[in-house]
Amino acid sequence: MFETDKPVQGFFGQFGGRYVAEVLRTALDELEEAFVDAIHDPIFKEEYSDLLRDFVGRPTPMVFAENATREIGGANIYIKLEGLAATGAHKINNALGQGLLAKRIGKTRIIAETGAGQHGVATAAVCAKLGLPCRVYMGEVDVRRQRPNVFSMELYGAEVTSVTSGAKTLKDAVNEALRDWASSFAETHYLLGSALGPSPFPDMVREFQSIIGGEVKTQSKDRGFHPDCMVACVGGGSNAIGFFAPFLGDSRVSLIGVEAGGRGTSLGDHAARMDGTGSVGIVQGYKSLFLLNEDGQVQDTHSISAGLDYPGIGPQLAHLGTTGRVQFLRSTDTEALEALKFFARTEGVIFALESAHAGAQAVKIAQEMGPGKNLIINMSGRGDKDIFITAKAIAPQAWKGFLSHEIADMEGIQ
Amino acid sequence: MNQSTFASLMVHMIPFFPDLPSSQAVARGIVRAGADHIEIQFPFSDPSADGPTIEAACNRALAQGFRVSKGFDFVREVANLPGSRTRVHIMTYASLVYARGVQKFCADAAEAGAWGLIIPDLPTDNDEGLREAAQAQGLHVVPVVVPTTTDSRLDLITSTSPSMVYGALRTGITGTKTELGPENEAFIQRILSRLRPYGGQLAVGFGIQERAQVRALQPLVDSVIVGSALVRAIGNPPATSEKELEERVANFVTRLATD
Repeated sequence: MFETDKPVQGFFGQFGGRYVAEVLRTALDELEEAFVDAIHDPIFKEEYSDLLRDFVGRPTPMVFAENATREIGGANIYIKLEGLAATGAHKINNALGQGLLAKRIGKTRIIAETGAGQHGVATAAVCAKLGLPCRVYMGEVDVRRQRPNVFSMELYGAEVTSVTSGAKTLKDAVNEALRDWASSFAETHYLLGSALGPSPFPDMVREFQSIIGGEVKTQSKDRGFHPDCMVACVGGGSNAIGFFAPFLGDSRVSLIGVEAGGRGTSLGDHAARMDGTGSVGIVQGYKSLFLLNEDGQVQDTHSISAGLDYPGIGPQLAHLGTTGRVQFLRSTDTEALEALKFFARTEGVIFALESAHAGAQAVKIAQEMGPGKNLIINMSGRGDKDIFITAKAIAPQAWKGFLSHEIADMEGIQ
Repeated sequence: MNQSTFASLMVHMIPFFPDLPSSQAVARGIVRAGADHIEIQFPFSDPSADGPTIEAACNRALAQGFRVSKGFDFVREVANLPGSRTRVHIMTYASLVYARGVQKFCADAAEAGAWGLIIPDLPTDNDEGLREAAQAQGLHVVPVVVPTTTDSRLDLITSTSPSMVYGALRTGITGTKTELGPENEAFIQRILSRLRPYGGQLAVGFGIQERAQVRALQPLVDSVIVGSALVRAIGNPPATSEKELEERVANFVTRLATD
């Protein structure tokens, strides 16, 4: 299940590292040791596997998108339905792994950051299951636009702390979680949600997410094909690196990461870092490609999907992009919405907006590849959570009518 | 150690906070009062090691038009204030140093008249060549250590013989009051035992806001660091003029330094 030979690489080419103030050094050194120890322990692995099966619902299915394939007339399209995991996205694989690790090393409190809320919801659910108190830091802007997720987290018993500093979004939630951890690490574990941040987080998150790629390997073999191309969306990159990890050494598979093209190509209108717009920098404890101005100040990003709305990319993906092993493309807000509608209509599957970015490029690539080839999209999350964004964008009048009616109804009750 | 009646202080401030002329007045007040060190923080958009007071001040400074090149202009002005005996340190985050290029950042800092560089997220063993580049320019990198820093890391950090070490008295972020106790003293001794053999200096801080705290630390260390307390004092109440602000800051520093 885990790459136990050298699970913590620390650096990926020039990217990665542990660029933190001394105050976090001890916590990270201890975490690395505990993580390496845990993944060599059969009891830990068994407990993790059992809960992945019974609590998360793994393995998640991989479906042949027959209607979509026929309509496009290119490569066979398969969809890894990662969004069918408990709490609706791949985030829970990592949340569960780190939650068990925290418990194992005697931590009694969990903190986490969240953007869209998917990682926060996954962490809150895991903490409820494992009996750990949990605080989730979430930017004020995200709290406002993702109220359904805040509601779920609170229902799971988590305390959601609204972050009012900086741009009031995901990066600021990370800063706030780092601040909390700097004074609380003796009893608190920081359950970081993406494959980024200071080492060992990028390695640890990849290991807990590589279950996705591991299952894809088995599922494609069972169907008698070898994937020619795999496509995943990339915010920080945890679903992509977990999906790709078991295939990195397999040159027969081309790996495509899709970033948020947002509403345009100017800085501030997108969250794409890999096609020349990102600069090498050191932010939030790791070296990677970031959207920065010439002074090194972090720039605002935009994407219709909150989960891709982040100025940095995980260091391993930045490296794999630089070496050419992973090719990066971008999908705009509009393309993602079109892909969402396409797969809902043809396959009965509603993608999360993040994953729909991968879907949009996959459709084009499948067409170019032509028949006889096999392409797999990672649907990292399902789209229920986005209904307040997608309904507003796709059917604004009907949605507005519904909301007004709801409000009138609630006020009538009062 | 420092038993003189006027304590050796390192006083922190942020250029362009709350605006450029006011911050120039603040720097003049610090220098005029006779602080041994001034710590000029170049604001970064994501200061994750700072608390809410300094983060808000940094955001304000960025909105007021702070740029790194203007930061060096500011340093130059402070270093050249007439009669100044204050050493200038630049504190910032790795992103600003790396974006400019480590060597260029050091060259610009030296040219502007800085003495020390405090870059907490470029630790000794992951410093991107900072120490070497600084040395080449006659600058001093001041590492920041905390009570949870292990003996082996203290050994590693002091093995490079830093001229000065910055000891943060408690783990956490800037801006919360620190109570001084025996564990602070033990931490100070752990650092000093490594610095004294080669003559390295120790400045300590984090949460210093009262004369009593300075008085307690004065005999133990070379300098005491004052950070968020001054940032708070600058805006509360709002200054009526730059002259008044300079006066207020000079008085603030003097009150902390003497009985």
